[in-house]
Amino acid sequence: MRLVRIWFEKKGMIRYISHLDLMRTVTRAIRRSEIPLWYTEGFNPHPYMTFSLPLSLGMESECESMDIKIEGDITDSEILGKLTAAMPDGIHVTAVTEPVFDPKEIAYGEFTLDFDGDFDREKMKEAINSLLSQDEIIIQKLGKKGHKKVMKELDLKPLIFDPAITDTESGVRLFVRLPAGSKTNVNPSLLADLIGKEVPEAVCLITRKRLLMSDLTEFK
Amino acid sequence: MVSKKIEKILPLVQKPGRYTGGELNSVVKDKSKVDIRYAFCFPDCYEIGMSHLGIKILYAAANERDDVWCERVFAPWHDMEEEMRKRALPLYALESGDPIKDFDLIGFTLQYELSYTNVLNMLDLAGLPVRAKDRTSLTPIVVGGGPCACNPEPLAEFFDIFSLGEGEEVSNELFDLLKECKKEGTSKQEFLRRAAKIEGIYVPSLYDISYHEDGTIKAITPKETAPEKVKKRIISDLDTVSYPDKFIVPFIEVVHDRVVHEIFRGCIRGCRFCQAGFLYRPIREKSPEVINEQCKALCKSTGYDEISLSSLSTSDYTRLETLINKLFDWTIPEKINIALPSLRVDNFSDELMEKLQTVRRSGLTFAPEAGTQRLRDAINKNVTEKEVLETSRKAFSGGWTAVKLYFMLGLPTETLDDVAGIADLSQRVVDEFYRNQDKPKGKGVQVSISVASFVPKPFTPFQWEAQNTRDELKVKQEHLLASVKTKKVRVSYHKIDISFLEGVLARGDRRLCDVIEKAWKNGCKFDSWDDSFKIDVWEKTFEECGIDPLFYSSRKRDFSEVLPWDHLDYGIRKQFLIDENKKAYAGETTDHCRIQCAGCGANRLNGGKCDALSKNMV
Repeated sequence: MRLVRIWFEKKGMIRYISHLDLMRTVTRAIRRSEIPLWYTEGFNPHPYMTFSLPLSLGMESECESMDIKIEGDITDSEILGKLTAAMPDGIHVTAVTEPVFDPKEIAYGEFTLDFDGDFDREKMKEAINSLLSQDEIIIQKLGKKGHKKVMKELDLKPLIFDPAITDTESGVRLFVRLPAGSKTNVNPSLLADLIGKEVPEAVCLITRKRLLMSDLTEFK
Repeated sequence: MVSKKIEKILPLVQKPGRYTGGELNSVVKDKSKVDIRYAFCFPDCYEIGMSHLGIKILYAAANERDDVWCERVFAPWHDMEEEMRKRALPLYALESGDPIKDFDLIGFTLQYELSYTNVLNMLDLAGLPVRAKDRTSLTPIVVGGGPCACNPEPLAEFFDIFSLGEGEEVSNELFDLLKECKKEGTSKQEFLRRAAKIEGIYVPSLYDISYHEDGTIKAITPKETAPEKVKKRIISDLDTVSYPDKFIVPFIEVVHDRVVHEIFRGCIRGCRFCQAGFLYRPIREKSPEVINEQCKALCKSTGYDEISLSSLSTSDYTRLETLINKLFDWTIPEKINIALPSLRVDNFSDELMEKLQTVRRSGLTFAPEAGTQRLRDAINKNVTEKEVLETSRKAFSGGWTAVKLYFMLGLPTETLDDVAGIADLSQRVVDEFYRNQDKPKGKGVQVSISVASFVPKPFTPFQWEAQNTRDELKVKQEHLLASVKTKKVRVSYHKIDISFLEGVLARGDRRLCDVIEKAWKNGCKFDSWDDSFKIDVWEKTFEECGIDPLFYSSRKRDFSEVLPWDHLDYGIRKQFLIDENKKAYAGETTDHCRIQCAGCGANRLNGGKCDALSKNMV
């Protein structure tokens, strides 16, 4: 039995599949691929599978990963080949590696927010710049107080790193690095919503590009 | 692929995975290379529709043809419909994303009466007139099938044709005819004239209905090419008919998310309240070898880890042991679970139970249907109290602590004593648990009883019966609640108002078309969903249309009355149903088909063959 990390992209319409549904989808794909999975030995045997960091519904990603336990002789490149053939459209397996870091140590995510639609590019850039240059960016966030769910205020300003605005073929792209992982996590859709309020005709596609450790090395 | 316009609204709705298409094994073709674009519609939401076996079978069968592209369409949920209407986006098919109004054929599967308003809503959302007469061009032709097509009269004005019985073969004949008519450039009327000559195809506009002064039907008169009686279609040999080797694997979780395999059609039991038990006759079994191979292929192509063996009464399959053993050979090593729904109390063997336990244990459910032996005899549910208790005892010693029992209220000849009998029987199941020496330590028992309201249905011995009124049902429900003395028995009900409407629509005639259209215009849709069902709107609509719903639901018919579905032939002889009805009142049971053929007549549909007779008894 050994642990392997499967790397994949989630793109296109499949971004509307929730994390839970993705897990089911991938489990079935692995069964179809006939990779020799390791099963737990309890009363109700099931394969071992864990995802590094769930992705929000509606987002694309170029850096998804999951760990599975394998039994028997099969090389990483054989796994890659079998999985590629079995995955549904929109999930592209990019690599199979030995896990290096613990997913619990993930600290940041890099995202692109691509704004598309019938809007004036300069107006969009203006809206983004003025948002990012505020002294504080207060948002309401559903948080927990003990067991109760309450609305909490959060200042995004100190949590946004390395913002960069560029032109794309059909609109404007905002790049940001945000805290991600089990300790602090900022969902980029919070930013997209704030900008969307200023430029309502824009449609935003968010893509997770890379996950980073606290020292900014890439999660492997 | 769905359009950019649809993509834009997906982030705004719940469960966008319902609307994206692109699932594994969905069929995408080059539309320039097919002759018939076919939209197969399920008039309920994605999760319900994708759980339905019929759609999988017919989708695969149609797509086997190079000249046909069959795609799926489901009813968009309220939030999605709102966004689509706001932006004037028409109803589209999931595979291509193309608007279905441009398709050649639009098929609806009619599984339950309470989906009728959704049919109208979907036609309207597609941008089509809901009335057949207002759709004047040859295409799209709107066809309905499924169990409710056995009395399609309440929908007669909306559909061009109905397909009676099993669809695998007749669909092909329809495709061929439509292709021919398109090529010749015929009128829609000419298509209908020719379609009426196909066995199993009912063209409602080719029949005139006249009424007596008291509102009952005087005569049903065929016109032009229409036959006097339209005979339902059946598949003669289930081993050779096409069965999908691939199921579409949904991304989002649907109700039945597993491999489903149909092991036989029809039912030997003849429970007098059960429409399916008569509608799907004669009995035809599929061989264990074929089922086994097809299950293997399906597990391989889908990656599912569960197989459900489906039929109306799984333990009546004559070669169940053989089949299960064949399946276990490969499912156990591959950690695939086998589920056997619809097991009967009376032939639930120890051995079988043990075998199934080796994989995974699911809940235990029995359907005694009625609380007293007298009433069980009247409805021909040949299960005795002794058998129910015996099986419960076995289950309890096997470690089960929860049992679910299904009953009905409002059955013909029912008295308040029968109602109290439901509570008594449940109590005795509880007692059985505590009498058991090997019961699990420190655990209580939970007997859940689910009580539905009886709805008389066409093509059953009770098709002439008056449904209990809502007030009568309320009295019975209260009596049952008062009769249950322990918290170990938990009672749940179906909504009486919903059963009432089901009762009206099930045995309705063409005059209900106006009511259904108006109710839909007044905002009724997704009527089978408790949260969406609007009884006040339905009541108001009946009043507006000047129609008394009780005429349809709670009026006892005379055997001589012309019934709205009398021109449709489902193989069962009317005299057989009359005899069964009389036996119910006499408290006489009828043996199941393997003990003694009761002569229902359905074997005539299969050249005299019926697997209830030709196969050895279990």
